[in-house]
Amino acid sequence: MMHQINVGEDLRDRNREIAAENREMLRSHGVFSLNIMSAPGAGKTSLLVRSIPMLSEKYRIGVIEGDLQTTRDAERVGALGIDVYQIETGGVCHLDASMVHSALHQLDLDAIDLLLIENVGNLVCPAEFDLGVDARVMLLSITEGDDKPKKYPLMFSESSLLILNKIDLLEMVDFDLEKAKKEATDINSGIEMIELSCRTGEGIEAWTGWIENLISESRKG
Amino acid sequence: MHEVSVMRNLLDIVEATADREGAEKINVIHLRIGEMAGINYESLKFAFEILSKGTRAEGGRLEYEKVDLRVTCAECSHEFSPEELVFRCPECGSGRIDIISGREMEVDYILLDEEGT
Repeated sequence: MMHQINVGEDLRDRNREIAAENREMLRSHGVFSLNIMSAPGAGKTSLLVRSIPMLSEKYRIGVIEGDLQTTRDAERVGALGIDVYQIETGGVCHLDASMVHSALHQLDLDAIDLLLIENVGNLVCPAEFDLGVDARVMLLSITEGDDKPKKYPLMFSESSLLILNKIDLLEMVDFDLEKAKKEATDINSGIEMIELSCRTGEGIEAWTGWIENLISESRKG
Repeated sequence: MHEVSVMRNLLDIVEATADREGAEKINVIHLRIGEMAGINYESLKFAFEILSKGTRAEGGRLEYEKVDLRVTCAECSHEFSPEELVFRCPECGSGRIDIISGREMEVDYILLDEEGT
């Protein structure tokens, strides 16, 4: 006999529960955390490599690197002498809360103040999965094109900060900066933006300043 | 690639339910997929065919219904469907918008064959 079972379970429900546990765990250890997302090659690792030396003067930093297969990003960041935990997702195209949960158990959370999580390079899936962090940051490199907000709206709607990377190349590519900014704001009116170049260093201080502000606000609250 | 991991997670939910019910075969899996969930249904179906092989869901039918994007304004509570992905309230102009539906990746119901029936 065939019979119907109503399930009504969203696969993000379980993720949300574990994300809440992560959030509580990080909060109880006084760790401020960011989930950094972008397409492959937009410059997530370069951003970390550029800004960690500056951030290290103020904070004790831990990094979680999400990667499909390799440990290359972790090696680049680890060369800065900080604690890096590598998650190889084995082909899964995003980090989810349970992967980060296991990583949190491996890191010494009492020894860090700031946790930077570099997500897998992908503009779709990482936006779906809350990891339990304080804020999400997305990088859009201008070589990717100014149509990305409309094409990948969820990524823009879920992020608190949009970093427009490779801004030093603006003259060389057909990227309408104002259009991209307007369309990002259409999707998320509260999104903040920083124009930045990991190559020239432009905007790096605005980025580290943004983090410092959020941390001092979270310590107040 | 996204759809493969999504399908794997959906099948976990389905299998867990089938276990609880003591089912022998999963005949139909009915999903609710949000318009803004970033899921390509053809890819999801392809992933289902690959991943269901050797499970109780093999040969079963995958069905879905699309859930429209609906949002509500945090200022004036006006409910609407954004056009052209402009998340701004047409009534009061506010940009503080909450999504109420359209991001679902949900197993709505399944049809099972019970053991010994």
